[in-house]
Amino acid sequence: MSFLGNLKDKVSQAILEKSSANSKKLTKDESFRLEYNLPDTETIIDESAAEISIVSPYTSKNSISDNTLPFFSGKIYLTQRFLVFRDVYDKRTCSFVLHISSIKKVERVPSNSYIFALSITAYSGLQYIIQYVGIRSRSEQFSHKFKIMLKENLPNVKHLRPFLETCYSEYLLSKNHCNVEEFQNQPAGGLGLKFKFPGDARKLKDKSKMRLWFEYFKAHGRNITLSRDQMFYKLIRVGLPNRLRGEIWELCCGSMYLRLDNKDEYSSILKLNEGKHSLAIDEIEKDLNRSLPEFPAYQTEEGINRLRRVLTAYSWKNTEVGYCQAMNIVVAALLIYMSEEQAFWCLSIICDRLVPGYYSKTMYGTLLDQKVYESLVQKTMPLLWEHITKNDIQLSVVSLPWFLSLFLSSMPLVFAFRIVDVFFLNGPKTLFQVALAILRINGEELLRTEDDGTFISILKDYFSTLDDSAHPNSPNEHYRSITKFQELLVVSFKEFAIVTDEMVENFRARNKNEVFQGIENFIKRTQLRNFPRTRNLTPENLSNIYDRFYQIVQSSDVKMGGGTSLMDFELYKVFMSEITDWVNLNNQYEDKNQDAFLKRLFNNWDVEKRNALTLENIVVGLNKLVEIDLMEGLSNFFELYDVDGNGKVNKEGMLLISEDLLYLTTPWRDGFKLDSITNKAIESAIADEIIKQQQLAEKINKEREDNANGNSSSNENLPEIKIPTEIDIDREKLERQQSERYLSAASMFIQRSFEYAQPEENPEVPLIDLDDNGDEADRMTKLMANAALDPTHPKYLNLPTFRMVILADETYELFFSETFRDSFHIDSKINSLNKNSRNLRDMFDGLLADGRRVANEVRRRMDTQSASSAASVSSRVQQNDNTSIKSRSHTISSFNDEEDDDFRGTPLEEDLLDNAEAQVLSEIVPSEGRDKLELANNSIVDHDVKILESFSNENKNSTTTNGKKNDPAIIEFET
Amino acid sequence: MSSANKPTTAVKLVLLGEAAVGKSSLVLRFVSNDFQENKEPTIGAAFLTQRCTIGDKTIKFEIWDTAGQERFASLAPMYYRNAQAALVVYDITKPASFIKARHWVKELHEQASKDIIIALCGNKYDLISKNNEEGEEIESNRKVSIEEGQNLAEEENLLFFETSAKTAYNVNEVFMAIGNKIPSGKKKNNDGGLGLSAGRGDNDDNNNGRVDLNAPIDAGANNANCAC
Repeated sequence: MSFLGNLKDKVSQAILEKSSANSKKLTKDESFRLEYNLPDTETIIDESAAEISIVSPYTSKNSISDNTLPFFSGKIYLTQRFLVFRDVYDKRTCSFVLHISSIKKVERVPSNSYIFALSITAYSGLQYIIQYVGIRSRSEQFSHKFKIMLKENLPNVKHLRPFLETCYSEYLLSKNHCNVEEFQNQPAGGLGLKFKFPGDARKLKDKSKMRLWFEYFKAHGRNITLSRDQMFYKLIRVGLPNRLRGEIWELCCGSMYLRLDNKDEYSSILKLNEGKHSLAIDEIEKDLNRSLPEFPAYQTEEGINRLRRVLTAYSWKNTEVGYCQAMNIVVAALLIYMSEEQAFWCLSIICDRLVPGYYSKTMYGTLLDQKVYESLVQKTMPLLWEHITKNDIQLSVVSLPWFLSLFLSSMPLVFAFRIVDVFFLNGPKTLFQVALAILRINGEELLRTEDDGTFISILKDYFSTLDDSAHPNSPNEHYRSITKFQELLVVSFKEFAIVTDEMVENFRARNKNEVFQGIENFIKRTQLRNFPRTRNLTPENLSNIYDRFYQIVQSSDVKMGGGTSLMDFELYKVFMSEITDWVNLNNQYEDKNQDAFLKRLFNNWDVEKRNALTLENIVVGLNKLVEIDLMEGLSNFFELYDVDGNGKVNKEGMLLISEDLLYLTTPWRDGFKLDSITNKAIESAIADEIIKQQQLAEKINKEREDNANGNSSSNENLPEIKIPTEIDIDREKLERQQSERYLSAASMFIQRSFEYAQPEENPEVPLIDLDDNGDEADRMTKLMANAALDPTHPKYLNLPTFRMVILADETYELFFSETFRDSFHIDSKINSLNKNSRNLRDMFDGLLADGRRVANEVRRRMDTQSASSAASVSSRVQQNDNTSIKSRSHTISSFNDEEDDDFRGTPLEEDLLDNAEAQVLSEIVPSEGRDKLELANNSIVDHDVKILESFSNENKNSTTTNGKKNDPAIIEFET
Repeated sequence: MSSANKPTTAVKLVLLGEAAVGKSSLVLRFVSNDFQENKEPTIGAAFLTQRCTIGDKTIKFEIWDTAGQERFASLAPMYYRNAQAALVVYDITKPASFIKARHWVKELHEQASKDIIIALCGNKYDLISKNNEEGEEIESNRKVSIEEGQNLAEEENLLFFETSAKTAYNVNEVFMAIGNKIPSGKKKNNDGGLGLSAGRGDNDDNNNGRVDLNAPIDAGANNANCAC
């Protein structure tokens, strides 16, 4: 289902975007490229202070030596393909970005010995005189590097002419005989050329604007040789003429350089992906007929086809973005003024640089900028903001489309294009400035509304009357002639000039986390909701698994730069090591068994057999592994080894199971983890120790009292049980006992498995008829034949037998019913889990954190103490132990009979369960058994203490406190 | 349509569903009784209102029409917040849109106001009927059966209609059925939860009072009683 696939992409996307958004400290080269809109390949090779003058063959009659020639001092930069200059005081006074391949000639200017100057002539005939400022040797060095770059750009020169033929500026100059070269044919342009540009050309003063640009091009160069001065910015402010709009747009945003450097890429992407299908293409098709449908070109095949090709090509170029609604409107608008190729590269710059993240799968940029916008409204128009929040008006319902479609879907196109003109020149802050100005201008009226509906309709009305006078009642004719749109521009770019790129960046940084959090929560919620039901995992478990899964997948993804949401085996090992106690990636010794077991699990979980796990696979797999129901859990475990699914595990399988169990129980065998049997033993040991201490204290007290002939009955009251801060416990012994228990469980397992495994029957040979009347010899041959079918006497273990063998051992039974499940750490949040906490001391801490339990243990002990003596207890426990073992082996044999006969109707599992319960009961040893201490005075009674805890016979030794001599571990705890 | 002496109940209603299933067209039909063949996709969301008289109460629908494309989904919570009603729309000729509808219903049940009234709409009925209404079905176009829609509606306790924004088939009925389930007379502001829980009794009364308008819940029946 594509929906869930998308969702997974989205998660990866969100995390990648977040990580890239967080590493926002720009390098010098990065900021340089952004400032001059250069391609990502450019770096500063050298820079120098310089004074420059520009001489045009058409406007200046001055010679180079003329002293009156205006010059600008600033800095000149050399990159791989560009020579960049900017005025030191104000970029707007003079700056240029000269493509090196446009340079025709470079000469050294004859001058004084201490001045070093170059004269550069571009193909356009323009001459740039660069006079270096600084030490001669540095200037020489710059020139040297410049020379190298000139040489390296020689191969690019041949692309120049075809490129220039696509520029309307060249055609314009040529048509008016002001071009060094001839350009006969009008270049391919936007749909407007054929279908008429929006708006009234006369009213827009298109011709005079064209004339002004013509003059500008003559004096300052054009496209890749253009130098900008104040006039350039002014000409853009008044609105671009139709035929030049596309070219100036791509020049301002830098997409022109991409188009020049990546000639043919557009057409080859289209050719390469011809006939292919994708989700993006489906989405594009849905919207082709709904993109600026009122513009005549988009009611024709030609217009629709251009739109389809540009959107499709971009969806292939940037699969991360693919296609987002609103891009159709933006591209439809671009295509009115631009050729397909121009629009394609321009879209590329819009998505990558101007409004990154606006159209991405998570749309984080859009969401973020809405937050930024709201913050800016709050900052610049606090009254209005208060009004908006008080009335719970959703500002984003109006403002989001402004940003996402660059106002193209909100106001009449003629006006929207004027804003887009400035947007390409000044970048994203333009959107904020205009959006703020809209609220400012309508502020008074907006303050009077209390609901979204009116709020929205005020703004709708405003957009539809932008052409009206802003001051219709003013006596001053000049004021009356100012339209609302002109007013909007003034307010946007004068009053809100305070909104700078830095300010926008700061607000973005401030709101970033909240926005990403929101997106991640949404995606996570959606994904978790679509998981299969898992009865053994709580929603918190799922949430933690989700976080950990993506943390691991993404951390490797970021390194590899991919965007998958699959977990391969190596990552799976990391994942399992983080959530379980029995996967240890640092331990070389265990690697073989560990890998074998994990691979087995991995393959079992990998139901789609793609050699990688999805989050869903993990969830389903874990759910099975931590099964709460003991019987179900045992079947799940058995299933791991029953690879062919016939319900049988052969000899090798049995060995594998026993090896894996041995591996799985390593943490307990090594004493890194304690199971509840050992925990009980520790509790008891501590209780004993406390009692001993108390008795000692009492004894001393009593002696003191006796000595002092003291008064009576201080023992009548229930004394408070104080948990001491230090207790001596024989750690080694406890560990050793546990370890022995696990080893013996392992050996019992393999022994019993083989003992009770069923012989493999050959269906072709009838079972030996025990009632056979034939002679002994005949029976023997039959038996022989039977066995001879497979000389290895194949035997198999089936599920009931496996369950029985596990349940026959207390430690393994406990392992499957409790211990194993407890070794998963999916309750804790991703950052709160302390991986290093697995040592005995922490176990004790955990155990004793709740002092009450120990206190109860102590009381219980005191209660029952008087009734017993150490000797009788120990013998009784011994006996008890024997009987329990006996009864256990009895159950085993009876089960086995059942299984072999296969006759009796009683379900095995039930019987086993009953017996398991019986076993547990048999484990409950009278608590007196643990006490060896004799108390002279034991009036401490607490009847409320409930004694219903099982206690293993193995522990009885550990409760004695004489183990102190073996290097006791000192356990500290607080109550 | 509206009358001054009757109390007006403001109902915030949100439209959700896959791209190009006709959410905006349903709204346009309901609000302006109009239809546009190539409606521009909704960017983010759109907001429209319509007053409507049902029996003795006047309902002002505040309609939040959302963008359908998958990536806009994370914006949706912004719009369905505090909504008292939702219209989850799918296209009966596009099975994927039905799957998406199912997801929206789940999302709403989980995240939206507790008492939200949800109507499920299988739109573009015109594509499978020869005449405007009740013609023979062109079954080959239909990809989501009416039973599938009904089953989902039953499972999730939704109102269910098959509609056509193009022919206006069942469009008013959907809004009316929603209006009928809305408790009346509460204050205009979108004080969501309070108004709804307090109005529970009202709701039952209303249902008992006007059986006829609740009838079209059974969408298969050709109930064309529209008096909006």
